[in-house]
Amino acid sequence: MRRFLVLLVVVSLGITFAGTAAAQGEEKVLVVGLSEDYKSLDPSRAYEPGGSLIHVSVYDTLVTFPSDSVGEILPNLAASWDISDDGLVYTFTLRDDVVFSNGDPLTAEDVVFSFNRMKNLKGNPSFLADTIASVEATDDLTFVMTLNQPDPAILAKLIFDAFSVLNADEVRANGGTDAPDAAETDTAEPWLMNHSAGTGPYIVESYEPTVQTVLVRNPNYWGEPAYFDRIIIRNLPETSTQKLALEAGDIDIAMDVIADQVPSFESNPDIEVFSTQSDTLIFLLCNQDPAIGGPVSNPLVQKAIRYAVNYEELRFLSGKGANNPAAMVPIGFGGALDPSEGLTRDLDMARSLLAEAGYPNGFEINFEYPDWNYIGTDFGIVAQKVQADLAEVGIKATLVPQEFQTSLDAYRSGRQGFSLWLWNPDYQDTLDYVEFLPGGVVGNRANWTDANADPEILALRDAVKVETDAATRNELFREIQLYEQEKGPFVPLFQPGVHFAFRSDLQGFNYNSQWRVDLTLLYR
Amino acid sequence: MSLHQFLARRLVLMIPLLIGISLVAFIISNAIPADPTAANLGERAAADPKIVAAFREKWGLDEPLHVQYLTYLSNLLKGDMGTSIRSRRPVSEELGRFLPATIELATFGILVSLVAGVIFGVISAVWRNRPIDFIVRILSLIGVSAPVFWLALIGLILLYLRWDLVPGPGRLDPKLRPPPGVTGLYTVDSLLAGDWRTLRNALEHLILPSLVLGAYSAGLITRITRSSMLEVLSMEYMTTARSKGLREWTVITRHGLRNALMPVVTIIGLSYGNLLSGAVLTETIFAWEGIGRYAYNAARTLDFPVLMGVSMLIAIIFVLMNLIVDILYYWLDPRLRQA
Repeated sequence: MRRFLVLLVVVSLGITFAGTAAAQGEEKVLVVGLSEDYKSLDPSRAYEPGGSLIHVSVYDTLVTFPSDSVGEILPNLAASWDISDDGLVYTFTLRDDVVFSNGDPLTAEDVVFSFNRMKNLKGNPSFLADTIASVEATDDLTFVMTLNQPDPAILAKLIFDAFSVLNADEVRANGGTDAPDAAETDTAEPWLMNHSAGTGPYIVESYEPTVQTVLVRNPNYWGEPAYFDRIIIRNLPETSTQKLALEAGDIDIAMDVIADQVPSFESNPDIEVFSTQSDTLIFLLCNQDPAIGGPVSNPLVQKAIRYAVNYEELRFLSGKGANNPAAMVPIGFGGALDPSEGLTRDLDMARSLLAEAGYPNGFEINFEYPDWNYIGTDFGIVAQKVQADLAEVGIKATLVPQEFQTSLDAYRSGRQGFSLWLWNPDYQDTLDYVEFLPGGVVGNRANWTDANADPEILALRDAVKVETDAATRNELFREIQLYEQEKGPFVPLFQPGVHFAFRSDLQGFNYNSQWRVDLTLLYR
Repeated sequence: MSLHQFLARRLVLMIPLLIGISLVAFIISNAIPADPTAANLGERAAADPKIVAAFREKWGLDEPLHVQYLTYLSNLLKGDMGTSIRSRRPVSEELGRFLPATIELATFGILVSLVAGVIFGVISAVWRNRPIDFIVRILSLIGVSAPVFWLALIGLILLYLRWDLVPGPGRLDPKLRPPPGVTGLYTVDSLLAGDWRTLRNALEHLILPSLVLGAYSAGLITRITRSSMLEVLSMEYMTTARSKGLREWTVITRHGLRNALMPVVTIIGLSYGNLLSGAVLTETIFAWEGIGRYAYNAARTLDFPVLMGVSMLIAIIFVLMNLIVDILYYWLDPRLRQA
């Protein structure tokens, strides 16, 4: 026993000395707290928003957005581009000064490889390449992309992480392939988890899934070097833990702040908060199939619900930063109606619409929703508020909370009659919202199809899908949204706020809805 | 029956038990009215029948259930626990990464609760109905009833943010690299590597989570020790020991505590099993990536291979814990050795 005690004393002394002797480096380190949602660092499989933070620091795309908006398309790896008159052939001229992190120069072949690999991996983002018929390199710096139909959103799609340009030779050397059977034969993913093959300001040093991801500055970066030597992205799954770690100064940015936490940050001089509306759209779905939707399949009832909901109070309930879109195109997207053009609650109107539909005393309906919390929005609370609003016009909604995956399954297969859901954009272009029209991904879930929809909305939908002229597009989107206010199976409720908090000595913070924060532009 | 025979029998009995558990876990995870396809494919990919079909084929979800189960069992016999649908990494590799974190935390948690529980329990029994007894009883009531979530947050706010006594969440400071992996236990690995700085950091990071995690068991052990001690203290052999002129301390520890420990050992065995399998909340708040969070995430995304793997692992842990408890009975109670 005595020997053990002596040993214990010696060991603890050793620890103390070792601790004090350890030198602190002069390295400039940025620590980001994030609830890790990504499962892979292979950009060609990118899908989760958290991964964008890393991909945008490590890889480049042909074109890009400004750091604080998604309203404009800027050159990036491509210095310039031409679009053929029929809108089908895009010719990109690459910059001639770009090198990968291992020193290899960028060529058009790398772009061809990256695009084909992403498409052929058949992963979550592969659908973004659906309109691309073929890609080829006509010379070292010329990349030609041919579409199978005009796609007014294609440049916005190319900015998504999945279109990151990788070093073809390096990825091939580590098992990568862009062959049509890449989904089965490509084995580069494990290598890409701990390395990177990009042209961005940082390279991936290490990735311990669910613990942290470490980026170090790319010594061969072709542009202005970034300020921080090293970026550590720590997985802190619980928002209250992120808050504490930020207050203690252990992290520099908390990426998952919820509305309830904002007031307590505002009184703290060491911390700044950035709030805006997210591009998440929370909406009600009414099934068009009378066998599933019952009364809510009636267009008059759908319209009555749109007039019965108290939009302003829902927004208030959701907290700071939340906003009400006027229709199914969220605020922030080109062509979205101004929020002031949105519907306002009109109970008399709602009641008379219900009477006209044959329900003067209302009706009973099951109201389904996934019982979860998304970026601070508790679906149970939103559902209760909708239930109370509807009760005022006689609609007696019974809340049916469901386990998330069970609910998702029913929603995706179009089996929910009346439900509460959300939609996040797949890419930053308004075209993503034709999915709420007949035959679209969400339209189908409401059984709103070409067979049961008005010819008017079908014509608008088909026109907007191929229109490339900006002014005409906006006019078409306007008509679509005005239609959505009158008819259709959806009720737009609100866009929740999104909040970030960071140490106030951190400069250069900008938000855009594609990658949220460009970490490479931050400095102290 | 000798100890060897006893052990052999228990180990053989584990086989049907594990098969049974695998069957139950398999049936339950497949009976859920939800589809792993929806859980793991994105909005658009899930809307594309070709991608969905390829996904189902890749993960064997298109096979009839009994074929899926038999495939799983035969792979398991070859030591292959399958690949996680969510992360596309082998389940055995992931278990090997997450389990040590949990073992480390649970071991420190159970040490905290054992030391605190036994000491408090004895104090409380010896000074029964005195003020110290009431204080201990209130503390143990708090330990048993305070929600882990609340304890953890209060602990973090006071000890970490306000008083800066302990470091923040995680197993190590982000700027430190984990020690070279031998056991996966950072304390042991850094000791083996002779890396004192990392060892100290890892120990500091363990303080608060193990206090929080151990609070419930500490409360429980205090109460069991107390009642068990009270029973033993009233025994005639205690009077005998005292009348032999032994020192009071010897009477309480040698004659009292040792006899009072039997029920405590059972509780410790079960508590340790619980700590190893049920620390989801503690692990979430302290960003401690262990088996609890791993299982929770797998359940959320219907990651069947992981769910099966974790269920099997937890079953094995409980069986082993019970076995260890039985062995401890042997050691504590000489009558069992003669029987």
